[in-house]
Amino acid sequence: MATALIYAEYKDGKIKKITHELIAEAARSGCEPVAFLAGAGVEALAKDLGAMGAKRVILVQGDALKFYSNEAYGKAFVEAVKSVNPAIILMGASAQGKDLAPRVAATLGIGLASDCTKVKIEGDKLKCTRPIYAGKALADVEFAGSGPQFATVRPNALSVGALQEDASAAVTNQPLDASALKSVVKDVVRGATAKLDVTEANIVVSGGRAMKNSENFALLEALSAVLPNSAVGASRAAVDAGYRPHSYQVGQTGKVVSPTLYIACGISGAIQHLAGMRTSKVIVAINKDPEAPIFQLADYGIVGDLFEVVPLLTEEFKKVLGEH
Amino acid sequence: MPVLSFVFIAVFLAANAFFAYRVSILLRLIKATHGPVWSGTRFDRIPERVLTVVMNVLGQRAVLKKRGAGIMHATIFWGFLIITLETMENFGYELHPGFTFEFIGPTLFSGLVALQDFFTLAVLCAVLYAFYRRLIVRPEGLGKSNDAIIILSLTGSLMISLFLMRAFHMVSQPNWYDNYQFFSSFLSRNLLEPMALSPEAAGNISSVFRWVHHFLVLGFLCYIPASKHLHVLTAGPNTFFRNLEPTKGMRKVNLEDETVTSFGMSKITDMSWKDTLDLFACTECGRCQDACPAHNTQKPLSPKAIIADLKDILYHNKTAILAGKSDEVGPVLGTKVTDDVIWACTSCRACEVACPVFIEQTDKIYEIRRNMVLMESRFPPELQTVFKNVENNFSPWAMSPDDRDKWATEPDDLQVKTMAALAASGEQVEYLFWVGCAGSFDDRNKKVSRALVSVLRKAGIKFAILGKEEKCTGDPVRRMGNEYLAQSLIQENVNKLNEYKVKKVVTACPHCFNAIKNEWKDFGGTFEVVHHTQLIGKLIKEGKLKPTKGTEQKITYHDSCYIGRWNQEYEAPRAILDSLPMAKVQEMEKNSANGMCCGAGGGRMWMEETIGTRVNIKRTEQALATNASTIAANCPFCMTMLTDGIKSKDMAEKVKVVDIAELIDQATI
Repeated sequence: MATALIYAEYKDGKIKKITHELIAEAARSGCEPVAFLAGAGVEALAKDLGAMGAKRVILVQGDALKFYSNEAYGKAFVEAVKSVNPAIILMGASAQGKDLAPRVAATLGIGLASDCTKVKIEGDKLKCTRPIYAGKALADVEFAGSGPQFATVRPNALSVGALQEDASAAVTNQPLDASALKSVVKDVVRGATAKLDVTEANIVVSGGRAMKNSENFALLEALSAVLPNSAVGASRAAVDAGYRPHSYQVGQTGKVVSPTLYIACGISGAIQHLAGMRTSKVIVAINKDPEAPIFQLADYGIVGDLFEVVPLLTEEFKKVLGEH
Repeated sequence: MPVLSFVFIAVFLAANAFFAYRVSILLRLIKATHGPVWSGTRFDRIPERVLTVVMNVLGQRAVLKKRGAGIMHATIFWGFLIITLETMENFGYELHPGFTFEFIGPTLFSGLVALQDFFTLAVLCAVLYAFYRRLIVRPEGLGKSNDAIIILSLTGSLMISLFLMRAFHMVSQPNWYDNYQFFSSFLSRNLLEPMALSPEAAGNISSVFRWVHHFLVLGFLCYIPASKHLHVLTAGPNTFFRNLEPTKGMRKVNLEDETVTSFGMSKITDMSWKDTLDLFACTECGRCQDACPAHNTQKPLSPKAIIADLKDILYHNKTAILAGKSDEVGPVLGTKVTDDVIWACTSCRACEVACPVFIEQTDKIYEIRRNMVLMESRFPPELQTVFKNVENNFSPWAMSPDDRDKWATEPDDLQVKTMAALAASGEQVEYLFWVGCAGSFDDRNKKVSRALVSVLRKAGIKFAILGKEEKCTGDPVRRMGNEYLAQSLIQENVNKLNEYKVKKVVTACPHCFNAIKNEWKDFGGTFEVVHHTQLIGKLIKEGKLKPTKGTEQKITYHDSCYIGRWNQEYEAPRAILDSLPMAKVQEMEKNSANGMCCGAGGGRMWMEETIGTRVNIKRTEQALATNASTIAANCPFCMTMLTDGIKSKDMAEKVKVVDIAELIDQATI
């Protein structure tokens, strides 16, 4: 049975979904999932990893690991790879994974299939699918030669299995020689904004110049407040007019977003804006002008005054979401 | 020979030696700058070069484009030429008392002295006007300059000393030609004669003023090389070595040359000798700055300042450059020349067109951009997206190359043929219609592409498009400094056009037009390319298009920089507008060669504009000032910028921005 070493990621005391996806995939393919968990005071999370299907957990703890750092986590993970000697290594293509994987692969001198959208494990062979040319084509990748096969996988690409609360994993404590580290992260200061960044939101509500002033954005804030995991964005015209700061700008020269739902309010859809949101899964456009180019791209179009339509939408969403 | 002659010879030689030493340093600096010259050799077409010097230096044509200051300058310049003869005569007098040019005959000589006396007064008046301009009017472009005040004081003193020298001389030793020197003899009769000086005393005073004049002239000579007055030496050569072509493209960088270790301008020595001569030729007149859309919207860029700053940088590094210690020459960026300065340029070329001594400001800015991008990967973050899009999708916008021909098929299929289909069927067409990225992907500009198809069909022109095989011409990324990416695009496009044996190209995009016309020839692509306004104008003249339908409308025409200043086409679009029935054309105050940029050139279309007023808003205000209901454009970028401007002025209900192709399509059956 091939061994798959999975890098466990967590946030706010909870194992991330991507880690669950990777463990579940390894287990489904008949591998022995071994999780790597690093941090300070995180031993409780080892049980959760067991419930997700990990058979073993390599636990590395120490003050130097209190906050994520490329150097310390990389060193610990490389040591874990050497001791476990897995056939397969999986990591999320998250911010942490993107930061850590190249360092680990380079240190070990092994290949890396980054940013995969699909992985398949056949026996001890790892087969990956990854997008190339900005998603215009998909490449199937296999590994040549010996050594662990290493891939990072995009979140939400794989399905998770059911949790088995009674299952537990054998925990192996791995020591960390912190004295050899050249850098230690002492503290992480979060940015002042408590609001969700538009690029991270699942739903984006955007306003254009038709909002007329910055106060009217309260309408969109109200709609966003009803929708879970949502954020408010703005078109370049609205930002140029001073209705919103530049950090809210969606478009070619602002943020490029790809949410599940994009609601464009009073945005005509200049090419500069479309370039920043056209890959959204579902696009809803509200505009007075039926000729507005945004309707060409929108899945749903509402021809009407946003000052009437948006409050109605907010009310309806409140009702619908309240019932669930 | 009297003692004074020896003194004069010593002073004369010392001043000239000092002058020669200072000039030799400037020449060594010119030699030390080793970069390649933009747009061709500057030693060809000698007769044309001589002619342009005659017209623009002797004839002062370029200077006289600006009336008040132009007449002032021409007066001083022509006066300087004439009066120099008298100065030579005075120098000769020190060696051989009594030396004159009288041997040229009484008629010529009396004419000469009359002219000299006239110009002495004229130059004095011009100097007074210059003082009035600098100290009272104070135009923004001139700025404050102690250098200029010193020079004007010197020039004025020279004239006054001449008058006094002549007038006192007339008292001491009257000559037959005195009366031809109208103003000097007037002074002599009315001011000096009543003083009843002895002829000897008057002669001595005249000699004092002659010596004052000598010292002023020689002092001027010593002062010139370090002042902005250096242009009296350099404007001539700079005019001679100017770019003779009114059009130009960007210089091709040889990326294959493996001995090259750095691209673009990082140090001042990376400039070409011509760039250095440009710096020496600048008179700081400020015409470029007055015309600059970036400067006029409070950006940190001023073409005048960048030339002055580069000159400062050159002088600052003088010791290291002359010692040949290239390692010790500091970088250009991070001085007064900052990132914001370099990225503010819209490449509108108003500065170059305004310059009376033919300085090419944009070359320097774009060489610096090249260095920033190719060597340091240093550019505004939003350009990363553009580079990525062009690399992946061959368009600055993130649009799929597969959708490039959708403008022709949606909402209804126009049945436009592609070159690939024609090659398969063996059919021939006259023109390749180069659509461009904006015309292919931008919804507003797609309508222009469709209108042009309709117009070409009405005139019976056979044409085809490349469809999905078309790629960005390289214009935006080249101006963003990404020469490598631009070259790969240009080469692929040129190869494709040559494969289809394309001869003639028509395009509605001035940026594509300029790239194909002026830049692709360096990559083996020689095509006859016309802008759609040129072709439409020709078709109207030939009677193949007859604008007969008209609605009453007041139109103002916005010149795009790349059809206007870069390619000197001001007439064709205006002729089309004049042919529209019932249309009235109202020019904006700034039009044709003086037209103002929309703000989108030089890659600015894809950059944020956070400093100062927005260029497009300023231009829109100028268009709105004409009270026109239609703004006629000929460029997809201008279309976008002006449409945005109209919207932000809340005038979208009243004023429309329309491409000339659309106007003609509406006016013809």
